Amino acid sequence: MTGAFVEIDALPRPSATVVPVAAARPSPARRLLRALPPYLFLLPAIGCLAVWTYRPLAAAVNLSFFSWNLLPTTPKEPVGLDNYRRLLELPDLWHALWLTAAMTLALLLFTVALPTVVALWTSAIRGRGRAVYRAMIFAPVLVPPVAGAAVWQWMLDPTSGAVDRLIGHPINWIHEPGPAQIAIVVITGWHLLGFAVLVVSAGLAGIDDEYTAAAMLDRASRWQTTRWITLPLLSPTLVFLALMTVLMSGQLTFPLIDTLTQGGPDSATTNVYYLLWEWGFQNFDAGFAASAGLLFFVAFGVVATGLVRLSDRLTFHDN
Amino acid sequence: MGRIELDGLTKRYGDVVAVDGVSLDIADGEFLVLLGPSGCGKSTLLRLVAGLITPSGGRVLLDGRDITHAPPARRDLAMVFQSYALYPHLTVARNIGFPLRAARTPRAEVRRRVEEVAALLELGPLLDRRPRELSGGQRQRVAVGRAIIRDPRAFLMDEPLSNLDAKLRQATRAQFRMLHETLGSTVLYVTHDQVEALSLATRIAMLDDGRLEQLGTPTEVYDTPASVFVAGFLGSPPMNLLPARVECHDGRVRVLADDVEVDLWPGEDVEARDVILGIRPEHLHLMAAEGPAGPGGMPRLRGVVRAVENLGAEESAQCAVGGALVHFRGARPLGLAAGQPVALTTARDHIHLFDRHSGRRLAWRPLADRPLADRQSADHEPAAALHDGVTTHQRSST
Repeated sequence: MTGAFVEIDALPRPSATVVPVAAARPSPARRLLRALPPYLFLLPAIGCLAVWTYRPLAAAVNLSFFSWNLLPTTPKEPVGLDNYRRLLELPDLWHALWLTAAMTLALLLFTVALPTVVALWTSAIRGRGRAVYRAMIFAPVLVPPVAGAAVWQWMLDPTSGAVDRLIGHPINWIHEPGPAQIAIVVITGWHLLGFAVLVVSAGLAGIDDEYTAAAMLDRASRWQTTRWITLPLLSPTLVFLALMTVLMSGQLTFPLIDTLTQGGPDSATTNVYYLLWEWGFQNFDAGFAASAGLLFFVAFGVVATGLVRLSDRLTFHDN
Repeated sequence: MGRIELDGLTKRYGDVVAVDGVSLDIADGEFLVLLGPSGCGKSTLLRLVAGLITPSGGRVLLDGRDITHAPPARRDLAMVFQSYALYPHLTVARNIGFPLRAARTPRAEVRRRVEEVAALLELGPLLDRRPRELSGGQRQRVAVGRAIIRDPRAFLMDEPLSNLDAKLRQATRAQFRMLHETLGSTVLYVTHDQVEALSLATRIAMLDDGRLEQLGTPTEVYDTPASVFVAGFLGSPPMNLLPARVECHDGRVRVLADDVEVDLWPGEDVEARDVILGIRPEHLHLMAAEGPAGPGGMPRLRGVVRAVENLGAEESAQCAVGGALVHFRGARPLGLAAGQPVALTTARDHIHLFDRHSGRRLAWRPLADRPLADRQSADHEPAAALHDGVTTHQRSST
């Protein structure tokens, strides 16, 4: 017998006789119409951003090259980079920057460190007690900053205030540089603590219980579990809070500074936002304020980018 | 040492009883598998032993010491989680070394032990990776590595193979068996997979609805299931269970149902009763020729083939017998087609009987010398009512 082995190929193949006809492509107009809906849905949000954020930003960039006193009747006077040069030579700017950095760092104690401790402690509380506890901590968030400031002003009064009576030692909180700075930071922290605790609690809830269970069975102590498992897994949340603090602290302290100290005593509480406001709306030096605003915008942008990068590096996706 | 005793362990969630008075004595070095369907309470039972859940009642003893209320870290047990629970931010080496690091072991010692374990589990090249960069099988091995790096009294495993594909599962089963032989430690293993249970266990604890249904070696559990539940859970397809009736006719004890006739042995004066007749699919054969169904005849089931399934090496046929569906499997090809009438038979040794109401297994006990009144009362203790010979404990095959 003679023969040959042939490879078996039993897979279905498109038959060669049928030439595939290119599926009719819809007309460009039709394709555009199909692609449009998602962009239409985005339009209101993009529109608002453009009108309320990007247009003023562009206007500020433009304004920073002019000298103008905000009066519509006065013409804008082009000064080139003069505003920026004057700005960088001004010691007030560096003082305000330094103060802002220090206050932000101090504020991190209330928006990151303390909330983490509180959330870790309260996470063990179950049932109704937990809700009551959370509500108590969250309540200050609901107090309007200016109203809060007014009440704090009474409480911090050196002759009849509750705070000085409590500590039994008269301190002029609002009119001495150090105490004034502390007061601003503590009152802002008191406002933010509840919100931060809520965010950290949500972050804790997002960590799978199995990790802590596994760590317990691996005979790790509570402190080891917290340090080696919970905190690293919580770190993206903490970086987010730090980012919020850095970006918002200036704005959040503003109503307090304005109500309590007006930047004083001796500009001890004049942070960059208060300084901006003074230049723009007290001295009416719009171009100068705009150039300072842009400088801060860039500086905060750099810090924020760094923190976002950090957050990305710390996020561990399981699976 | 690693003897675990459970004494009436109970867990209630409101009105739901997840674990219902389970008592078990797991000897040192034993590989005990908790087997049951989802929701039978097996994982809850494991977590009670681990200390991750507090029991509503009962006790857990480890080497005679009451650990019912000891925190997990004080129990000296290691656990492999179903999700593996690998710490996502730590490398493989740090994951495996975690228990030692928690015990403040010197760094050099930790590194040495991690390398040992990694070599044993073939994880050497992966030590610097993070869990998300590992495949399912690799993650599973890291979880095992983290458990075996210290020398716990017992290992708890919660469905460790359920996230692996079939081929990997088989390889890992062999690895578990090897590990158990090398380490010689006690293992308490939860699974819903009967193949895992039968192939790994030294003993199987079958759980249903939070209660212990049967405790025995894989052979005992498979060959002499203690209840309809166990019979219907094990085997693929599981045991055929048909409602039937034991009767006495013309001096013979017989089991009868629609299209089913099983002649057991000579007997008189046996109380008629409702039973469930059980026959494993692999124990059924085609009847060569229609033999006589009279005294001494082979058990006979008549039916019509409904469908034939190709299982690879074997074929499984579903046959309508009376009102029930009977599975029967044998070497391929069975030579059957849908619609074909068939007559099936089996060896008398392979007949299982269960009480219709309680679902418990029936065994035959001769009662010749006892008065009738006793026999009637014995009716309420089904386990003692029939001859062990019906359902021999030793099977010739397998």
